[in-house]
Formats: sequence, structure tokens, C-alpha cells
Amino acid sequence: MIDAIRATSASLMTLLLTGAAWADGDAARGEARFQDCAACHRLEAGVNNVGPSLHGIFARKAGKLADFRYSPALKRSGISWTPETLDAFLTNPQALVPGNRMPYAGMADAGNRADLIAYLFKASK
Amino acid sequence: MVTKLKEVDVVIVGLGWTGGILAKELAESGLKVVALERGAPRSSESDYSLPNIRDELRYVVRHDLMQNTARDTITVRNSPQQEALPMRRLGSFLPGEVVGGSGVHWSGHTWRWTDMEFKIRSNYEERYGKKFIPDDMTVQDWGITYAELEPYYEKFEYTAAVSGKAGNIGGKLQAGGNPFEAPRARDYPLPPLTPILASEMFTDAARNAGYHPFPRPSANASQPYTNPDGAKFGGCQYCGYCQRFGCEANAKGSPHMTVIPIAMRNPNFELRTHSWVTKVLKDSDAKRVTGVTYTNVLNGEEFEQPATIVLLCAYAINNVHLMLLSGIGSPYDPVAQTGVVGKNYCYQTGAGARLFFEGKYFNPFMNAGGSNATIDDFNTNWAFDRAPHNFVGGYNVSGGFNTALPIGYRPVPSGTPRWGSEWKRATAKWYQTAMVINASGSVMANRYNCYDLDPTYRNAFGQPLMRMTFDYKDNEHKMGVHAAQLVNDIAKSMNPTKLNPATARTDPWTVVPYQSTHNTGGTIMGTNPRESALNKYLQSWDCHNLFVVGANVFPHNSSYNPTGPVGALAYWTADAIKNKYIKNPGPLVQA
Repeated sequence: MIDAIRATSASLMTLLLTGAAWADGDAARGEARFQDCAACHRLEAGVNNVGPSLHGIFARKAGKLADFRYSPALKRSGISWTPETLDAFLTNPQALVPGNRMPYAGMADAGNRADLIAYLFKASK
Repeated sequence: MVTKLKEVDVVIVGLGWTGGILAKELAESGLKVVALERGAPRSSESDYSLPNIRDELRYVVRHDLMQNTARDTITVRNSPQQEALPMRRLGSFLPGEVVGGSGVHWSGHTWRWTDMEFKIRSNYEERYGKKFIPDDMTVQDWGITYAELEPYYEKFEYTAAVSGKAGNIGGKLQAGGNPFEAPRARDYPLPPLTPILASEMFTDAARNAGYHPFPRPSANASQPYTNPDGAKFGGCQYCGYCQRFGCEANAKGSPHMTVIPIAMRNPNFELRTHSWVTKVLKDSDAKRVTGVTYTNVLNGEEFEQPATIVLLCAYAINNVHLMLLSGIGSPYDPVAQTGVVGKNYCYQTGAGARLFFEGKYFNPFMNAGGSNATIDDFNTNWAFDRAPHNFVGGYNVSGGFNTALPIGYRPVPSGTPRWGSEWKRATAKWYQTAMVINASGSVMANRYNCYDLDPTYRNAFGQPLMRMTFDYKDNEHKMGVHAAQLVNDIAKSMNPTKLNPATARTDPWTVVPYQSTHNTGGTIMGTNPRESALNKYLQSWDCHNLFVVGANVFPHNSSYNPTGPVGALAYWTADAIKNKYIKNPGPLVQA
């Protein structure tokens, strides 16, 4: 419970700081950024690899696909995936959800994140 | 009761790097291919993902990805006069036993062996005279050239996502790369990994001493990458769990996430796991093989799988074992020096120093399989004159870490008690402050280092165990002295607070503790059937539809890790089968 509160408040903090930069993202450039994710994540529905399928990610809460084994940290994070929360997560995944199991250190550049999220917003539907 | 199955075009024994490459290439050429793997099916998503993969007890102590010695092992001795005893626990080397084989748990170091190895006897005799190579050193030319293999090295490097810096592109030296490497057509597919502090310090010290340090080329993707076959790699996260583990980030080039899944999607390919091949079957005229027999280790059922072509792609030792068990080729006799199967077994040697720097924080838990720097000045550098030191071969020297695990990695200065409160104080004090400089040395073939079938001990299938006879010879001892001196000179120039110096090994080789999984030779390639078991296409001189692929084809061992030429030769053999053998089945080289 404490973790959940901490995670939620951290995400809110990050939100306030980063604003809605994703809205300026370029989906075409974002497709190239998706190479960072593609070794573990698929966009097709129901296809879990090392990471869960990203199909429909913006319509669900973190850690909710029934057939993927999530970390307890992600399951109790309480995050609803929106462009804003995903931007905060991708900035530094371990800072937003300490103890999550995604082996990825984060995407530092805000412009790259905006491009990636713009791409995901289209491609995950 | 052996069930005889329907004949297929190709049966592959063992599905690691070589089997995976050949499975993909031959299935794509239209051949019906069946692979028999004795281990279990494993995948990144179900087996190598976080958090379960970071388990030192399971993977390092209990060898979860390795061959089970309760079912089959080898017997070991140092000389033909001794009685060999079974290796009841894995120690000195760790053969993999899962889908992906040792390609799952390797570190990724990928080298191009050059004509310095492939023409070893010619080169040394030409430069140093016929007497320089001792009588009992049975090194010989390989029958292949670097120029022939160059495109296949490149193919393997691009498949496995090798990160590195070219030293020589088309004869033009490249700053920052290995100036002694043979010319390559293209750079590596990915830039070098991020160096760690220890490799940066070694790089500076080596450069100050006049040597030529460069980042070690390694199949750890330095950034996300899609290989030419469409296999997707994540960027290396420097998690430190590389050697002995599957990669949690799909960043280490491994057959189970590249060539094997591509073969699996091809309807021409079928994989049968838990399938232990006991014998290769010969035709009545002994000019061809007709298939293999295997046992399903889950239920004991026995099968015969007939095939037009048989490919032995198991671990190096097991390929040689199958040849001896099947009576293909004449077994090698070290006393009479006749026969070829079992000949020229080689290992590797080394000398390492540990340096402690009070006040430094190396963060040893963060590294990649290949995040260290190397010098080749005493290895592929032919200008290094061996005459005054009187040894054949060479050694490369590296500084940095590779898989320094949180529990098992406990560096302490020599003289520290092995246990108790003083040891605890020392391990807490020195853990962050240590780095290593390590020389990895070649081992030359010797007439007495070889394999044969053990007369006493048998495996779970009632078959004789493989017997290994091996020890280091005078050549390795002389090189060890040279290497230890060099390592210590560089180490001292760095002014460590404490130094555990390198020493040349003089004791006989033993099968404990872990040393290296680079076992080579036994079914060697060569220019003629008197001196070798296979021709330059890795085709048996005796049975033309049998190919034997892996480090067992190396006529001697260099100081480099073997997987570069192992992968390149697998692609080379795939092309020979597709473009030459299928059109005109028969010997590809006339004896």
C-alpha cells in the first residue's frame, strides 16, 4: 500500500514536470525508437514475449493482462497507462516503479519519448 | 525395440549455434530437416526472464543449463601411463545441454582467427626453420584460408550482433581497433560496448607501455539491433549476469533467439527435444552413413532416424565421442601415431593478476560479457619474435570484468584467511576495489593429448565413456612464464595498493576448478585423410554424407575464444552443402 501511494505520487510529480510533450511527437520517427522495445514487446494482441503485448496499452491499467507474469511492483503500482504516465515511466522505469522487472534503463531524451509514445498511440490500437 | 522412422533429407545432432545455423540455412534451401537435441526446450520469455534468471545457485553452482554428469561424462588423465577416472561433477569446462546449447550461456566474445592459425606449420617453418616446432607438437595446416572464411565471419557477426571496433578494413588500419587483425570487408554491425572503469584503466596502462589496446568484440548488442534475418535484440543493460546465464534483455547473440526460431517457423524443419543420439549408422560399404539411432530420454523409447545427410553439431567433445562410438574413421593411437579420430585434443591456458586500488569503486556488479579491453601484441602480431622465447602460439591480455556475480565474486588480497571474521572484514573492504588483468593463451597440439574410448567406465546407455588424456607441455610452460611477466609489468605500472601477481602454471592440469569451455580438436579438418578426419568443408573423408561441425574440427587451439570460427565454419559448411554437395553428392575434396 505504501508502495502504491509512493508510486502514484511519484508519477504525479513527474507529470507536473514533463507536461504533455508527447503531443508533439512524430509517429514516423517513433517507429524507429520502438526498436528499443521490440526485442521484448509485440504490438499484436495476445502475443507475450519477454515483455507483455502492448496492444491496447492505453486502455488498461499497469500489470493487468491475465496471461503475463508481472512483477508485484508493477501490479500494485496503480498506474493507468496514458501518454503522460508512460512518458514518466519510460524516463526512468525504476524511479517510477521501483522493483519492476523490465530490463531497460530508460529513454533519456524527451523528444525521443514523445515520438515513441506518438507511435505507440497509433500502433497499439 | 527400435522404431524406424521415415527418411528425411538431413538429420542434425544437437541444436546450438552450429546446428541452428545449419537448420535455418538448409531448411530455407528446401531440404527436410530434423534436429535431435538431448536437452530441454528453453526460451527467453519462459526461462531467461527476470527475476528467475538471476539465480547463482541454480545456474552457477547447480549448472542448470549444462550437461548432467550422472547420465554421461568423460574420464580424465594427464598421460597415457595413468588410469583415467570419471569426472563426476562438472568443473574445468561446462558443455551446455538445452536448445541453444552453449550459445545460451556464453559471454559473447567473438574473434576472427586468421591465417596465423590456419597456416601454422607453414608459417613457423618458413620463418623459424623446420626444427623450431618440436617433434611431438602435431600442429598442422587447416586446409582453409582467412580469405575464404572472411564473408562467413561477417555473416556470423551480423547474425549475432557483435559490438566492436574494426582495426583493419580492406587493409586500411582503423584508429581504436585491433591493428593486428586480418583485413575485414566491413566494420562490426554495432559500435563497442560502453567501457567500464577497469577496462579504461587497463587501456591507459597498456597504451603507456606501448601496446595497442582495443575494446573486446562481443556479441552483446551495444544498442537495440535487428539482424539481417529480422531477429530483434535489445540493448545490453550491463546487468552482469552473462556467462552461464541466458540473457534477460535479448541482448546477447544466442541461437535460441536468432537462427533457431527462424528455422522453427519453416515447415521444412522439425525439432525433437530430449532426444539422445547414441550412434551414427553406416552403410554396408562404409562409404556413406544412413542415419542415426536415438533414445527419448523422457520415456526410454528408441528410434532410428534415416537421413540422406547427417550433421554432427553437438558440443565438441560429444561430436568426437559419437564418431568413436559409431566406428567412423580410424581411431587415433598416440603411441603408434596412426589414425585420426581423437587426435589433437587441445585446451587453453592462462595467467592472471588481481589488482586492488584503495579508494576506487569498480562497481563489479555492472558489466557486459565483453566489457573489457584487450591487447593482441603477443598474439596475432607476427612481428612479435617467438625465437628468443622459444614457443609457438601466443596470448591475448585483457583488463576488466566479465560476470562478477554478487555472491560468488569475493576478491581478497592473497594471504587473507579463506574463512572466518578476518575474511569477512577483507571481503567487505576490498570488494569494490579489485580488477583483473588476464592473459589467455593458446595450446598447441601434442601427440599425447587426445581422446579415445574408456576401457572401464560406461554411461547411462551402457556405452563407453569418452576418455580425455591431456596435460600442458613445455611450450605452454614457456608461454606462461612470458605471459605472467607481461601481465605483472602492466599491473605494477598501475600502482595498485595490493597485487596478487600472475604466476605461470607449472602444476599438471586438473579437471577442477572451472577454467575454460574452449575444448578443441578430436575430429580435425585438414588437407588429407592421413592427418585429418574431415576435409576443408568439414565433410568426413570416410563417409561423404557426414559433416561434423564445431570446435572439434580445429587442429589446434589459439588464445582466442572459439565461437567466431565455429559460427563462420557452420555458415561455410551450409553453403558447401547447398551449392556443391546437393548438386553432386560425393567427396567435395578428392583424397
